[in-house]
Amino acid sequence: MNKGILERVDLLLIIVTLAVIVSGLIAIFSATYTSETDYFSKQLIFAIAGIVMMIFISYIPPRHIAKASYILYFISIVLLILVLFFGKKISGSKSWFSIGSFGIQPSEFAKIATVLALANFLSRSEEGFRNINRLPDFLKACAIVLIPVALIMRQPDMGTSLVFVSMILPVLFWVGLSPFALFCILSPVIAVIGAFLGINYFIGSLVLIGIILLMFKKNIFLSAGALVLNIIIGYSVDILYNKLMPYQQARIKAVFNPETDPLGSGYNVIQSKVAIGSGGLTGKGFLQGTQTQLKFIPEQWTDFIYCMIGEEFGFIGSVTILILYMIIILKLVSNANITKNYFLSAACIGFASIILFHLVINVGMTIGIMPVIGIPLPMMSYGISSLISFLVMIGIGMSAYRYRNQY
Amino acid sequence: MDLDKKKYVIFVICLSILAVFIIRLAYLQLFTSDELTKESDRNSIKTITVTPPRGIMYDRNGNILVDNKPSYTVTITPNQFDKNILEEISTVLELSADSLAMTLKNIKGTNRFNPAKVKRDVDFRVISFIAENRDRLNGVDYQVEAIRYYPNNFRGSHSFGYCNEISPKQLEKQIGDYYKQGDMIGANGLESNYENHLRGVKGYQFITVDVKGREIGSLNEGKSDIPPVNGTDLILGMDRDLQELAEKLIYGKQGAIIAVDPRNGEILCFVSKPDFDLSAFSGKTDSKIFSNLLTDPQKPLFNRVIQTKYPPGSTWKMMMSLAALEAGIITTTSTISCPGSFVFGNRSFADHGSYGSINVVRALEVSANVFYYKLGLQVGIDNYHKYSKMFGFGTKTGIDIPNETSGLLPSREYFDKRYGENKWTQGLLVSLGIGQGELGVSPVQMVAYTAAIAMNGLYCQPHFVSKIRNSMNNEEEIVKYEQRRIDLPLKYYEAVRKGMFLVVNGNGTAARIKSDEIVLSGKTGTAQNSSGKNHSWFVGFAPFDDPRIAICVLGEFEGWGSSFGAPTAAALMLNYLGVSVNETGEEIKSVGDYD
Repeated sequence: MNKGILERVDLLLIIVTLAVIVSGLIAIFSATYTSETDYFSKQLIFAIAGIVMMIFISYIPPRHIAKASYILYFISIVLLILVLFFGKKISGSKSWFSIGSFGIQPSEFAKIATVLALANFLSRSEEGFRNINRLPDFLKACAIVLIPVALIMRQPDMGTSLVFVSMILPVLFWVGLSPFALFCILSPVIAVIGAFLGINYFIGSLVLIGIILLMFKKNIFLSAGALVLNIIIGYSVDILYNKLMPYQQARIKAVFNPETDPLGSGYNVIQSKVAIGSGGLTGKGFLQGTQTQLKFIPEQWTDFIYCMIGEEFGFIGSVTILILYMIIILKLVSNANITKNYFLSAACIGFASIILFHLVINVGMTIGIMPVIGIPLPMMSYGISSLISFLVMIGIGMSAYRYRNQY
Repeated sequence: MDLDKKKYVIFVICLSILAVFIIRLAYLQLFTSDELTKESDRNSIKTITVTPPRGIMYDRNGNILVDNKPSYTVTITPNQFDKNILEEISTVLELSADSLAMTLKNIKGTNRFNPAKVKRDVDFRVISFIAENRDRLNGVDYQVEAIRYYPNNFRGSHSFGYCNEISPKQLEKQIGDYYKQGDMIGANGLESNYENHLRGVKGYQFITVDVKGREIGSLNEGKSDIPPVNGTDLILGMDRDLQELAEKLIYGKQGAIIAVDPRNGEILCFVSKPDFDLSAFSGKTDSKIFSNLLTDPQKPLFNRVIQTKYPPGSTWKMMMSLAALEAGIITTTSTISCPGSFVFGNRSFADHGSYGSINVVRALEVSANVFYYKLGLQVGIDNYHKYSKMFGFGTKTGIDIPNETSGLLPSREYFDKRYGENKWTQGLLVSLGIGQGELGVSPVQMVAYTAAIAMNGLYCQPHFVSKIRNSMNNEEEIVKYEQRRIDLPLKYYEAVRKGMFLVVNGNGTAARIKSDEIVLSGKTGTAQNSSGKNHSWFVGFAPFDDPRIAICVLGEFEGWGSSFGAPTAAALMLNYLGVSVNETGEEIKSVGDYD
C-alpha cells in the first residue's frame, strides 16, 4: 500500500514544496509584522488554494496537458497584449490586471504556457524529441519563447523577460542541441560580461571563446563567423547599455560597487548584506531582526524576503532554504529523466530552469553577487500570481512522475 | 549524450551554484558577521518630522494679526516606551492614563518607531521633569513647536479661525498621505480656507540610532534631511485699528459688523459677537472649553456675519427701488400716494406716518412703508427674485471662509413648493416689499449689495485675503476675485444713493449721525422678530462722492435700526476715514427710534 502511494505520488517533491511555502509564510509574517496591510493572511489563503490546485494538476494525464498547451500559449499572448493597454501601472511597469483588491500578472502564467508550448513543439510522442539541430525548427523553438519576451519587454519588465530567455538554453540542451550550437548561444553572454568589465576582460573572453570554438573542430568559416559575431555583440554592449533606463544602469553599476551609491540603487544591496551578515550562524531569532523589524529594507516581503531568513535564522536557516530549492530543482530534472513522456520531460526541464534562474538572481542579489533585478524568490516572496504559477509548475512536475510510464 | 548524462551535467552545474552561494553566505554570516552586526546595530534611522510654523497673517498696513510663538510638545515613541511608567507620565501630563494608553495603541506600523505627539503646549515644569529623568523615561521626549499667538487687543475669532488636531475621519478621507496622526489642521475661518497655503510643507530629519534607540548622530551629516517649507503668509485687507474699534463698539452685545472697500471687496473689519478666545485653541484644546462653547445658548461659535438669515427690513428698500425702476413700474420722478396705511384683502398694513404723494428718493429718505408695499405687489415675485439675485441675494457671496449661508430669497417655485401651486396670495409680496417676511439675508450679502450701489453696480466678491506671500523668498501673489457689473442705468443708482444721502443728511431716519467732516449715507432697517425684541440693521457707505468704505451692522435684539446700527456704523466709517471719534468703547448712544 505504502509502496503503491510512493509509486504514484512524488512525496519528496510535495514535502519539500510544503517546507518552502511554510518558510515563506513565516518570513512574510515576520517581515510584515509591523505593517498595516495583512499580507500574511492573503498569502496563506492563496498558498492553500495553490497546493490544492497543484495536487489536482498532478492527476491530469500528460496528453491533455499537451493538447491544451498551444491554446494556453495563445491565451497568454492575448493577455500579454491586453495588459499593455488595460493593465495597471505599478512601480513603472504595466504588468498587472487589477481585479478587485487583487493584482494578476499575466506574465506569470505566460511562463507556464510558454514552457508547455515549447515542450509540445519539441516532443513527438513515442519517437522522442524533434531534431532541433535543423535550423527551421531551431528558429521556431526560439520564436515560441521570444514572442512573449518581446511583449513583456514592452511593459517594461526586464527581470521577467530574462526568466523566459533563461529557459531556452537548458531545454534545448536537454532535447539534443549540439554542443557547438549551445556554445554559440552561450558565448555572447561571456563576451558581454567581458565587455562590461573592461577592454582587457573583453579581449580575454574573446581569446577564450576562440580557443573553445577551435576545440569543436568545426568548419573554420563557421567558427570564425561565430567569433566575429561575438566581437560585434561585445562592442554593441556600450550602445545597448546606454539605451537602458538610468535606474537599470545604476543597478548594474551597483553590483560591482554598491558603496558608490549607498542611498540610491546600492542601498538595498548594502542593507540586505548587512541584514544577512548580522544573522551569524543561528540568526537573531524569529521577529528579532532589527533590520527586518525596523523596515530598513523596503518592501522586503517581496523581492528581499531572503534577507529576513538570513537575519533571523542565520547561516543554518539560509543554507537550509537553498538546499530545499536545490532538492526541488534536482527532483524536477530527475523526473524529466525518468519519464517516458517526452513532452513532460522537456517541460520539467523548463520549469526547473525557471526556478533555478529565479533562485540564482534573487538570492544572488540579496547576498550581493548579482544585480538587483526585481524577480521573486519562488513560493516565498509575497505575490499571489507568482505563488500560484510556481505551484502549477510543480504540479505538472508531479504529473511527470505519476505518469512516467505513459508515452 | 543520453539523458542520464545530461542529468548529471545539470546536477553538477546546480551543485556548483549551491556551493558558490554557501561559500558567499559563510563569508557574510560566519566570517564578517561581527562587522556586519555592528553595522546593523548602528544602522537604524529615526525619522523626526519637522512641522514648519504656519504662515503669518498681516493686516492691510503690514501689522501682524496672527503670529506664532514657540511651545513645547511632549512626544512618546511607542516602541521604546516602557508601559510601567504610563501612570507616572499621564499624571505629569495631566492626561488620563486610559486615554494616553489608547492614543499609543492606535499608532500603527512604522509610526511606532517615530515620536508621536501626545500633549501640546505643556508648561516648562513638565519639560524640566522630562529632561531630568531622561534615563528613566524611555521613549518620552519633547519638541519645540510653533503655536498660534494673537498679539492684538481684539479677537477676530470668526475671521481667523483656529486649528485642531486632525480627526481619524479626516485622516482617512484625505487625498494623499500628507497628514499624520497628531497633525494640526485648520478647522475654521481663514485657517481652514487657506490650510494648504498656511501649513507649508513638513520636513524630515534623519537621525541614526542604535538598536536601543540612542541617537548616534544625523544620517549622512544631515545631507539627507528634507528641510521643511514654511507656510505662506496671508496679507489681509483688514484694518487692525478698525477691527479693534468694531469689536469694542459691539462688546457685550449680540450681532455682526462687516465693512468692505467697495472698490475691490476687501474686508476691512469683520465681527461676530459673542465670540471666543482663539488662544484657547492654539495649543492644548481643552475639551471642556470647547463643549462650553458648543452648549452656550448665545452660540458664540455661530458666525453671524455669514450664517445668519434675518429679514433685512427697510435696508431692503434700495433693492425694491432698483427692481421697480428697472421693471418700469416707477421712474425716478413718478410719485405714489402714501397715506398712513395700506389695505390688501382684508388686512391692513401699517406705516410710521402719512407722507402724501412722494417719489422714490423721498420714500427712501423717510422709509415710507406704503410706497414699498405697493411696489412689492407691482414688481411681482418673478422680477423680485430676478433683480434680487443680481445683487447677490439667495446665493453665497463666495467670501473666503467656509460655512457661508446662501440665505433665503423666495421665488415662485419656492412659494409653490411651500404653500402648493396657486395656494399662496400676492399678500406675501406686500411684506416682502419692505424686506419682511420669508426673506433671509446675511450681513456679508448686505455689505456687498450696499457696496455695489455705492459703486454704480460694481459688485465685488467680499474677501479677506488680498495677497499671499511666500515666506521663503518674499514673492507676493495677488489673489483674484470675481468682480462684475450689475448693468442698470446710472440714474437709477443715483436716485437710490440720493435717498441714502437724505437718510443721514436730510430729514431721514438717521439724521442724527450726520457728520460735518465726511458725508455719510446709509439706510436703517428693523427686522421684525416674533420671538423677542427686533433686530437693528444699518447699511451705509462713505464718503458719499468717492466711496471708500461700505458697512453693514446688525444688532440682534437691539430694536430700531437707528438705535444701534446707525451710530455704530457712523463711528466706524468716520474712524476709518480719519476722523477721530469716541474710542472708549462706551455704549453707543441711541440716535432715535426710527426704522
